[in-house]
Amino acid sequence: MPAEKTTPELPAQLGSWKDEETALLESLEQIEHKHGFIPRHIAEEISRVLEVKLERLRQLQTKVESNVRKEVDALVEKWKNEEGSLILILHEIQNQHGYVPREVAMEVADALDIGLARIYEVITFYHYFQLKPPGRHNMAVCMGTACYLKGAPALLTEAKNQLKIEEGNTTPDREWHLDVVRCIGCCGMSPAMVVDGKVHGRVKPGEVTQRLTPAQTTKATP
Amino acid sequence: MTKLTLADLQKPAAVTATGLNWVRVSMDTGGIAAGADEVCAVLEKEAGTLGFPLEVRRVGTLGYSFADPLVEVARQGMSTVVYGQVDAAAARLIIKEHLIGRRLLDDHIVASRARSTTLDGPTTAILVKDTAGEGGDKTQFFQFSLIEDLKRRGLQDKVQVVRALDLGVYDKGVAVQFLPSRVTYVNVLAADIAKIVDTTLRSKKLIDNLLYRVPDKQVRIVLRHCGAIDPESLPNSLQHGVYRGLARVLAGMKPAEVIAEMKVSGLRGRGGAGFPTWMKWHLTAEVAREPRYIICNGDEGDPGAYMDRSVLEGDPHSVLEGMIIAAYAIGAMRGYFYIRAEYPLAVHRVEKAIADAREAGLLGDNILGSGFSFDAKVRLGAGAFVCGEETALIASIEGKRGSPSPRPPYPSVRGLFGQPTAINNVETLAAVPEIIVRGGAWYAGFGTEKSRGTKVFAVTGKVRNAQLVEVPLGITLRETVFELCGGVLGGKAIKAVQTGGPSGGVIPEPLLDTQVTYETLQQLGSIMGSGGMIVMDQDDSMVEVSRFYLRFCVDESCGKCAPCRIGGYQMLQILNRLSRGRGEPDDLERIRAICKAMQKASLCGLGQGAPNPVLTSLRHFESEFKAYLEGGVTYARKMSTNRPAEPAPAAATATV
Repeated sequence: MPAEKTTPELPAQLGSWKDEETALLESLEQIEHKHGFIPRHIAEEISRVLEVKLERLRQLQTKVESNVRKEVDALVEKWKNEEGSLILILHEIQNQHGYVPREVAMEVADALDIGLARIYEVITFYHYFQLKPPGRHNMAVCMGTACYLKGAPALLTEAKNQLKIEEGNTTPDREWHLDVVRCIGCCGMSPAMVVDGKVHGRVKPGEVTQRLTPAQTTKATP
Repeated sequence: MTKLTLADLQKPAAVTATGLNWVRVSMDTGGIAAGADEVCAVLEKEAGTLGFPLEVRRVGTLGYSFADPLVEVARQGMSTVVYGQVDAAAARLIIKEHLIGRRLLDDHIVASRARSTTLDGPTTAILVKDTAGEGGDKTQFFQFSLIEDLKRRGLQDKVQVVRALDLGVYDKGVAVQFLPSRVTYVNVLAADIAKIVDTTLRSKKLIDNLLYRVPDKQVRIVLRHCGAIDPESLPNSLQHGVYRGLARVLAGMKPAEVIAEMKVSGLRGRGGAGFPTWMKWHLTAEVAREPRYIICNGDEGDPGAYMDRSVLEGDPHSVLEGMIIAAYAIGAMRGYFYIRAEYPLAVHRVEKAIADAREAGLLGDNILGSGFSFDAKVRLGAGAFVCGEETALIASIEGKRGSPSPRPPYPSVRGLFGQPTAINNVETLAAVPEIIVRGGAWYAGFGTEKSRGTKVFAVTGKVRNAQLVEVPLGITLRETVFELCGGVLGGKAIKAVQTGGPSGGVIPEPLLDTQVTYETLQQLGSIMGSGGMIVMDQDDSMVEVSRFYLRFCVDESCGKCAPCRIGGYQMLQILNRLSRGRGEPDDLERIRAICKAMQKASLCGLGQGAPNPVLTSLRHFESEFKAYLEGGVTYARKMSTNRPAEPAPAAATATV
């Protein structure tokens, strides 16, 4: 976990910012006036809160404006000449949202004129399609045979202890999602893990904490 | 790109189009994960500042996964060398030292496996490496001694002595390789140094008792272009001769002749089951219903195997070419690449290959003016292991759950959308064009009588050098693991090699001299599978390994048929209980009974193959299982690990 989030220096009125836009602006001005700038950890926390809020707003918006319908119609239109288009459509939805939201699945059922069960039968069959929204960051420990033999179970245990969740779950603050993947094909550098799309090879259990720092920019150990 | 014509493809390939100075960076998933894009960026940035033209090419992998990221460097007047474990700093050194200073870099060179036994021309560099797995590394000492000896004779400016990363020779003491001749000496002692300098460097004669005569056992047919061509460039692929097989087919071979050529070659399905490719095509072509389909199975789900990914990422045009030839042979108008969504780079490169080929007139209506029309598309897998099974794969392309269906009818009769369909593995299709160009008889010259040709294996696990190797079938497991990949990591004792992934079996150390063919592996209760070879050392508990594979199959069971769904689960419960020390006396018998039921009654390969890892472990390492029953967990763990493998019982070689 990044240290900034747990520092007690955050102003107490942070809670109220979540509700009041004007209050937020005022507070920011106060801070700026006091320090001459906005300290980074505060800025980061604010942007995180804003992002969560934006996400919620977006969800509401899609419900209200039925953007979902438009989006689904566009997808159905795009793939209508393809036989067996359902999986192609689900791929696009999964890639766009990070999961297949129930509302979208319902719209797809409607647009393709098939039962919702027919869609869930497919979604739940394939590992690639998720039913829950993903975390902000994703850590996937490779559990292919090569990685398994070379110490992947220890990596997984370490990651579980650090994040305090079981594999396949997301932390309560939705910051991290922990997954186990079958094989990412990097057997030459086992044990491997993928953090936010970047593959790290020859990872030692002690390095897991390091990989859990989001601003991680170092490359995989050669 | 303008449309190509048949005549364009029949012209001799212009390989000379490559400049004299070039670097090739392995940009496959493995290389990129190890930092190849950073390396590539450094090289591209510096290329303009050199004062001579330098081509920087992004290529697929050469197969030396242990040394990713790889950079191959050619400098006019110097031997071409491969550097491994290159980071940004090493990339800068390649520019400064190798390309400008004309000196090789220490500790990065992966020597060519194409060793020679004749000296031609004066030696310009000597690679040194202590190839012993354990003990003190004498590389540095030998480098120093050689340099000192050269200095004494005033040769130090003519011959560079370089520490190599890997010479492709293992457990042969200190080895040296002379460049450019690639003559290799092994078991070199300090006392030999003066003689080497005297005889080999000055008098240009070989020292017979040091010379390493074993030729390279690898034959690169499927991997022929991997690491050489830019997979995202059609013009570059054409320069290297891709699509010449297609030109040959379209210029004058009848579909039946193509199938006949495949029959001569003896090529069998490289996805694992080993069904003769010509037969598959012949059966599909015979069914009178149209349209017919061809599918390339790139759903490489075996954990620990990455050959298909490497081929798709390194040479997508050859796979596409193989598919077009197959389509021509069976009369298909439409083809699908079914690729795992977990391989985004492979998907991207195949999609680009298809788009480029379409633009150049290699796909679409009336290909190259031959009257034959064909088009291909990519379909993404979605993370279901069972979709590698052909009937499940078809269901998945149709947009359904990937549940297998009973066969017959086989896909060649009733496949995709109910139509005749041929399904070939990536590796099979990649071999096809080369068979057409060089002839079926040439291909049949490799391998054994029933298992002809070559096969790519991904050797991983507790092996010194995890890598891809392409070898003629009939090679032994021991040769592959020890001679080509350097044996076990850390010099430990080998316990077993697992082939065929979750549907394959473990082969214990005493049986490693078995030839690798479809038949022999089957006799041992394993399968060829897609080509994963996982090395296990003395520390690996076979009970845990069986549990690992079985858990995989239980997770991946689609649940359609009872033997697989229930049998697998129950067996896993027994194994879990056993490994916690709560086994019951008749557990092993019960496991065997469930295995038998699953093998006989499951619907598809997943269920039929799932018992294999358990059964073979039980057959060869029964004592480890019994230890859990008799002595409890602590005793069993001690028994099963840190101990060399026991000799297998005599009955081990009996058939299933």
